Amino acid sequence: MASGLNALRSALPVAAALLALLLLWQFGTTALDVPAYILPKPAEILATALGRIGFFGGELYVTLVEAVGGFLIGSVLGILLAVAMILLPVLEVMLMPLAMVINAVPSIAFVPLVLLWFGLGMSSKIAIGALAVVFVVLLNLLSGLKRPEAESINLLRSFGASRLGILWRLQLPAGMPALVTGLRVGLARSTIAVIVAEMMGAYSGIGQVIYQATAQVDSLTVWAAVFVASLGSLALYGVLVALDRKLVWWR
Amino acid sequence: MSLQSAVRSPYAAVLIVAALWLVCVPLFSIPPRYLPPLPAVIADGVSVWPDLAAGFWRTLVETVLGFLAGSLLGITFGIAFAASKTLERAFFPIFVALQTVPVIAFGAIVVIWFGNTILAKVVIALYLAFFPVAVNTLRGLEQADPQRIALMKSFGASRLTLFRKLLLPTAAPNILIGMKLAVALSLAGAVVGEWFGDTVGLGVMLLQALYFELIPRVWVLIIACGALGTLLYGALALLERRFVWWRPD
Repeated sequence: MASGLNALRSALPVAAALLALLLLWQFGTTALDVPAYILPKPAEILATALGRIGFFGGELYVTLVEAVGGFLIGSVLGILLAVAMILLPVLEVMLMPLAMVINAVPSIAFVPLVLLWFGLGMSSKIAIGALAVVFVVLLNLLSGLKRPEAESINLLRSFGASRLGILWRLQLPAGMPALVTGLRVGLARSTIAVIVAEMMGAYSGIGQVIYQATAQVDSLTVWAAVFVASLGSLALYGVLVALDRKLVWWR
Repeated sequence: MSLQSAVRSPYAAVLIVAALWLVCVPLFSIPPRYLPPLPAVIADGVSVWPDLAAGFWRTLVETVLGFLAGSLLGITFGIAFAASKTLERAFFPIFVALQTVPVIAFGAIVVIWFGNTILAKVVIALYLAFFPVAVNTLRGLEQADPQRIALMKSFGASRLTLFRKLLLPTAAPNILIGMKLAVALSLAGAVVGEWFGDTVGLGVMLLQALYFELIPRVWVLIIACGALGTLLYGALALLERRFVWWRPD
């Protein structure tokens, strides 16, 4: 009950601020007679989004499937690579320069390449989403796995723990918070990478809707699409935060 | 261990990757569609050198202007949030939520507002840089030890002195973390902003390379974007080592 009250108390100012901003926007644009192509009214944006909810929902679905697909593939790859590098340090020496160099390039620069390799369909978006995630997860988890000090590793080893046992009992739990940070950053990055790739070339998806509407100066559709995309990625982020609470419950 | 640390040096990493590229492409006969040989990429880069240099410069200017303006605005907002609990409670959660939405999509709206001018790209870069800097500035300012604040107040320190001597130095490392995140986002924003129609810039060249399916050109631009991003990040890291060498305890 008390926590519910606290939640309400912290949600109230936010809701008030949001409402104030929306009212200012709505009535400010009306009072100053701002044309819709510059800044549509929030009510109009909402009406557009709701009026074509089937269309926007379908496009958002494509984008979310691509973003989640890329995120999952990229995270699994990143986790596997980090674990492999911890178990076989020679792998780290071999692969780390490559990982560092690729990570230094903004992932959107790879968009033309994946479009040429995988075509304009969903697979190119999943590929760029995975690329945007894999190194964040790899670098974060690797630094997390290395946090336990050599002393505690040696202690476990002196009790006869195997390499895998040390990884499972000591290093993985220690690396969990860093992994979760990597996943969070990665999810935001994969959503952005997917939308950007859709802008550059796609058959469908919210990024393509935004790109085409911008070319036609169809401001209402752009705003509605941005609104829908924001709702979608907020929902994804919410799911990840909920998972995070389940995964790292001992913190 | 020394081998591992040598491999982690960025210069060595670039050299190693270049050497691998040079050797592996002919060795495994990788088709040019996936990875053209390094000499072909270099030759392509040399052949478009004037365009490349002009594009690099333009994108650099857009990124730096947007990044600086966005960082200043972000630091200002971070300080305002730290100064006023009401502001923070009302607006900070909105900021955190906005960070997770694909802000780059707003780039389209900015292009509608400002047209295909350099200002449009600067504003997109500014907008993307703003949030991480604001959020990290606030987090940094909140890390100051309340006991130290009380101590300084008891010696009659004014709010300005308190801010200059304690709060800002405590927050500086965090502000730089935010700025490092921001500089990469600014670059991405500037490049994507150019896609909506412009004539000069690395983003423009990327789009052209895609349309004409010039794979070596795409690789030239990937390297150019990576170099630009690394240059800006390196400049920040240098500033950090020079001016913010302390760590908060």
